[in-house]
Amino acid sequence: MQAPFFELRNISKYFTGVVANKDISFSIQRGEVLALLGENGAGKSTIMKILYGLYKADAGKILMEGREQKITCPKDAMALGISMIQQHFSLVPAHTVTENIILGSVHGKIDYKKCESEVKRLADQYGFEIPVDAKISELDVGVQQKVEIIKALYLNAKLLIMDEPTAVLTPQESQKLMDFVKDYVAKGNSVIFITHKLKEVMDVANRIIVMRNGEVCGDLNASETNEGELSRLMIGRELVMPEKDRQEHSGQKVRLSVKNITVEKKGETPVLKDISFEIHEGEIFGIAGVSGNGQEELCEVIWGALKADTGTISLDGQDITHLSIRGRIGKGIGYVPVDRHRDAMVMDMTLAENMMLKSSYDAKWTRHGLIDRKKLSDYTKQAISDFMIKAPGPDAQAKGLSGGNQQKALLAREVGHAGALLILNQPTRGLDLGAINNIHTTILEEQKHKKSILLVSTELSEIFKLCDRIAVMYKGSFMGIYSGDELNTEKIGLLMAGYSAKREAAKG
Amino acid sequence: MNAKLRDLIVTNLLAVFAGLFLSGILLLFLKINPLIVFKQAVVTMVTDKYTLGDVFLKATPLIFTALAFAFTFKANLFNIGAQGQFYMGAIVAVAVSLKLDGVVPTPVLLVVVCVLTFLAGGVVGGLIGFLKARYHANEFLVSMMSTYVALAVMNYLLRTFLKESKGEYPQTDAISNSGWIPTLIKGTRLHAGFLLAMLTAVAVWILLYKTPLGYRIRAVGSNASAAQMSGINSGRIYVAAFFISGALAGMAGFTEVNGVQHMLIQNFNPDVGSAGLGIAILANANPIGIIFASLLFGALNVAGNLMGRMPGVNVPSSIIDLMQGFVMTFVIISYFARTYLDRQRKKRELQKAVEK
Repeated sequence: MQAPFFELRNISKYFTGVVANKDISFSIQRGEVLALLGENGAGKSTIMKILYGLYKADAGKILMEGREQKITCPKDAMALGISMIQQHFSLVPAHTVTENIILGSVHGKIDYKKCESEVKRLADQYGFEIPVDAKISELDVGVQQKVEIIKALYLNAKLLIMDEPTAVLTPQESQKLMDFVKDYVAKGNSVIFITHKLKEVMDVANRIIVMRNGEVCGDLNASETNEGELSRLMIGRELVMPEKDRQEHSGQKVRLSVKNITVEKKGETPVLKDISFEIHEGEIFGIAGVSGNGQEELCEVIWGALKADTGTISLDGQDITHLSIRGRIGKGIGYVPVDRHRDAMVMDMTLAENMMLKSSYDAKWTRHGLIDRKKLSDYTKQAISDFMIKAPGPDAQAKGLSGGNQQKALLAREVGHAGALLILNQPTRGLDLGAINNIHTTILEEQKHKKSILLVSTELSEIFKLCDRIAVMYKGSFMGIYSGDELNTEKIGLLMAGYSAKREAAKG
Repeated sequence: MNAKLRDLIVTNLLAVFAGLFLSGILLLFLKINPLIVFKQAVVTMVTDKYTLGDVFLKATPLIFTALAFAFTFKANLFNIGAQGQFYMGAIVAVAVSLKLDGVVPTPVLLVVVCVLTFLAGGVVGGLIGFLKARYHANEFLVSMMSTYVALAVMNYLLRTFLKESKGEYPQTDAISNSGWIPTLIKGTRLHAGFLLAMLTAVAVWILLYKTPLGYRIRAVGSNASAAQMSGINSGRIYVAAFFISGALAGMAGFTEVNGVQHMLIQNFNPDVGSAGLGIAILANANPIGIIFASLLFGALNVAGNLMGRMPGVNVPSSIIDLMQGFVMTFVIISYFARTYLDRQRKKRELQKAVEK
């Protein structure tokens, strides 16, 4: 058998505190479209940045047509014919299209006329309409992406890596991009497509690598698999549907009301599109969906960390749309974000210090202007025993705790001060079963205390186990709001992949 | 022993040693035996009361400027402008002392001057913090350039409003005895400003580690994103941290003018800002550690002066400056070496955990 075009063998990469890639091996043939599928944080971008020379692997090697290659910087990668189009484009906004494309590959006196005609010829070859002398800042995102592609082709790329290329494109532009990909590989080139969108994968890929938690967990031919199998591999666990006595809350008073929330960066597809829903007192409202479909943004809008372009949010009938985070904490809202390392805990501080992070303005922690260490310490000890946190004591460094125990501590803090609404974004991600059970018990316990809970999760079993009502999110909008009994795995899987219930009904 | 603490001690000792070693080699080129010179300097320093007092005297302003740098450093900000804030403090100290000289009793004068220098440095610092918070200005550049502005202001005032009554040199009149910070030990120049510096270091430690404001400053410094997500307004923290940082540097102006120089002259203590930065890094920004690191630099300073005055050997003053410069450079390099070692250690731990 002919040696593959490119092969990655046993690649591992460690960042401080995280294993980004663990023993990754796969290969790509000439003329093949390979999809790299996985949730946010699965390690897809990292492995591609290694192939492109942006990161250095801690172990493993890269082979081209059977020969080992040293790729230490993007220049090495380009010399081998590898080109990568980043999620955030690397173009100079103040320069023209041609200037951007020839950047780094011209020397001496530049013959702009000649360069422009070369760029034009390349663009025509693939049917791209690009104004070669326009400034990048004047162009739409979709056109900028085409400039990036032409830039790669200008460098004679044989392997094109695209990181989430359709994230910022409209459906029509995405279709055009897919056409280009098919056209490009037909000429004997290869494409690696990083994505977490199942539909795209089925549409364009020949082969699919599924990644989870930094490891490869599936290497499949597109013709031999289906979306159901892929989503199971991505999420990780076979779904079981536990029974839950769902409660009807529509008679209760409305706690949180979200109306017509839209968040949109200029010229890009909106991250949140006209979202409206209500959560009642004592209700657990679940949001299911593949991560990266706007869940985090929605949480941040409700929390006050992200400003919505349109729409209103109210809590217990009071408008809180323009309230600061501190104001919302005061109203009894708690938030467990998906990335606790970045957004919720100060890992270099002690557990006790982390317990007062959200209430540092509250006079209850001070005596004569100084922090009342004893009170804080007692409070933390109580939390440690109530929430079964495994920690040496209140003065243990937060970073020394295991992920599950950090999460329990975080939940303890949020439960402690949030009297009205708890926003939980993937509260059990990456935790072991014991910790997961523990957290689920806490959530159900808080429901009994009449708190309202917004639970975002990619674990369907968790959603079905805990939630009274479920919304499915896809590309920044709700595919519908259902009571738990109305859904089954197949139906929710299709909704998560962006097939609306109506269309399915029409088909069936 | 804690690996981090071990790194701190070992790298710092190596830095000081490397600095002395390099300057020793330079002395060899001048046909001077560095061992003899170093030994004589150390002997004089520990046997002569006046010289020993000078070590503490030189350490005093350094404690303030080092605290100034350390304070913003805890909020992950860089105040490179302690020199300028020190000048502002010095201008205010001399102007107010001359005005109040003989008008109010000494204790009142000293307290008023101390508070005003604190505010003068604080306003300069607070402005830098404000520019950072409001306009996302780079605090590193703004604070660095602010030193030149302060220097220009000082030179202007020394030639105009504050110029001595004789009108000869660009310097102020001398403050009379009643405006001096009292001497601590007879027969030395050591004044009570050193005690003030130590008390300030303790106060800074309490502020950082025992109060909600200090807590918030550290939280923003360690993880600005988490702090912001927890409702802490990082912009306000920037202003507060820079105000306090500038105020600390301003107080060095008080101890130097009222305690040592008793007047303001051109080119006044031009290195306290940069030396403070090195000291803060040497002490890992720990307020109590800063006291000891400042004493080390005070000693280097005094040793340098002694070497220049030694009979028989002719050590040029440029070598003395070089010696201090070398030590400072190596201390700053040691900081980056420590972060590198720390990162490598964490990576190894992780790798080990994965392989298990």
